[in-house]
Amino acid sequence: MKTLFAAASLAAVAATAGPSIAQRPDLRGQQIYRRACYSCHALEPGRNTPAGPTLHDIVGRPIAAQPGFNYSPALRRLARRHGRWTRALIDRFVAAPDSFAPGTEMTFLGMSDAQRGVLLDWLQARQRRR
Amino acid sequence: MFRPAFLCFTLIALLPAAACAQPAERQAAPAARGDLAANVRLFDVPAGSRPHDVAPGPNGLIWYTGQRRGTLGILDPGTGAVREVRLGEGSAPHGVIQGPDGAAWITDGGLNAIVRVDPATDAVRSWPLPAEFADANLNTAVFDRDGVIWFTGQAGIYGRLDPRTSEMRVWRDPEGRGPYGIAATPSGEIYYVSLAGSHLARVDRESGAATIIEPPTAGQGARRVWADSRGNLWVSEWNGGRLSRYTPSTGEWRSWRPEGERPRVYAVYVDDRDIVWATDFGANATLSFDPATERWTRYPASGENAQVRQILGRSGRVYLPESGLDRIMVVRTDAGS
Repeated sequence: MKTLFAAASLAAVAATAGPSIAQRPDLRGQQIYRRACYSCHALEPGRNTPAGPTLHDIVGRPIAAQPGFNYSPALRRLARRHGRWTRALIDRFVAAPDSFAPGTEMTFLGMSDAQRGVLLDWLQARQRRR
Repeated sequence: MFRPAFLCFTLIALLPAAACAQPAERQAAPAARGDLAANVRLFDVPAGSRPHDVAPGPNGLIWYTGQRRGTLGILDPGTGAVREVRLGEGSAPHGVIQGPDGAAWITDGGLNAIVRVDPATDAVRSWPLPAEFADANLNTAVFDRDGVIWFTGQAGIYGRLDPRTSEMRVWRDPEGRGPYGIAATPSGEIYYVSLAGSHLARVDRESGAATIIEPPTAGQGARRVWADSRGNLWVSEWNGGRLSRYTPSTGEWRSWRPEGERPRVYAVYVDDRDIVWATDFGANATLSFDPATERWTRYPASGENAQVRQILGRSGRVYLPESGLDRIMVVRTDAGS
């Protein structure tokens, strides 16, 4: 009985929810951020967590330069080599952090090509809106 | 301090076993490496598995979560054979433990569900989290003495599921994002730690309320927790680079720092001899620590960036999933460690 109630409720929600997440790149990007990034990375300026620096204005930002965050030697080396985070650099890093920056302390197993594209579009759109 | 509980009338997906099980891509023989200690063995798992967590299964088998392949891996250490059970479209399993029913219980971040795999039939059954807790980034689970499974979600939640009734309740961590490792003490208490929140929390199993216990070092990044036979809580401090012990009866904290320039302590586990095991990403090694002598023993990884993210074992064996290398290392502790 409870299961039937839940199924009916979910169906009703789905019917009234409008365009699906798959049809809304903005929602899809937010969902990927929530699933893959949110646990360690905030979006607000200056709000680092012990697990990761903020992603505020990440595209174009100097690498490994958020005040108050204790970056790994691997990220500091990356900063010396590349200077700033471009979209292409973030894409390569998030695809396979360990391969792109060996020794990175971002303990993330990577993300698919399609997901990275949507996530980066969403992050850049957020920057443009401000 | 915590939000009202949400009672989940679970939507259960029961998949036929035949549709879920698939043979492994390859069956790897136990690796023999001359530079490993005599009490250490290595096993390959299918390429791209990225084995995240590991647990003892029935009959000496070893379970692991193949996070990038959406599978429960089943390794027979006697032969090196690996079999995989697919957990469903979109699966990205993180933790696995053996329940009191002998089944594998999995925290699946991709499915946002608690997943059970029947050890006899490979049947996969899942209990999704309530819709209001979407994208919880499910992390780790533990059973209490009443057979209730407690779990964490790194997006900032913790919860419980009673498999007998399918009742699920989920709460938000008082400080938000970060809940990671979770453990049960011998007396039945449930504790979890928050990586982003840098705290330990004790959960009232009746009300679900979480009481925050702040470690002495701010911003230490408490990642995993395990209880020893006396009920002490051992905490791996990622940012702090230390192994810490909290004694609930006195409120005392002590901590020890592994050798090395920049230790990053990820996993922690206490074996049945009360030897504490931890992994240090900074040293690319697993360490055992004897609290009685305060001496460390070092087990180097089998390759660069092995990334052992969790440790578990059974009497006489400690299992180390080398997620970065698609290998599982087994240390025999009854042969001396």
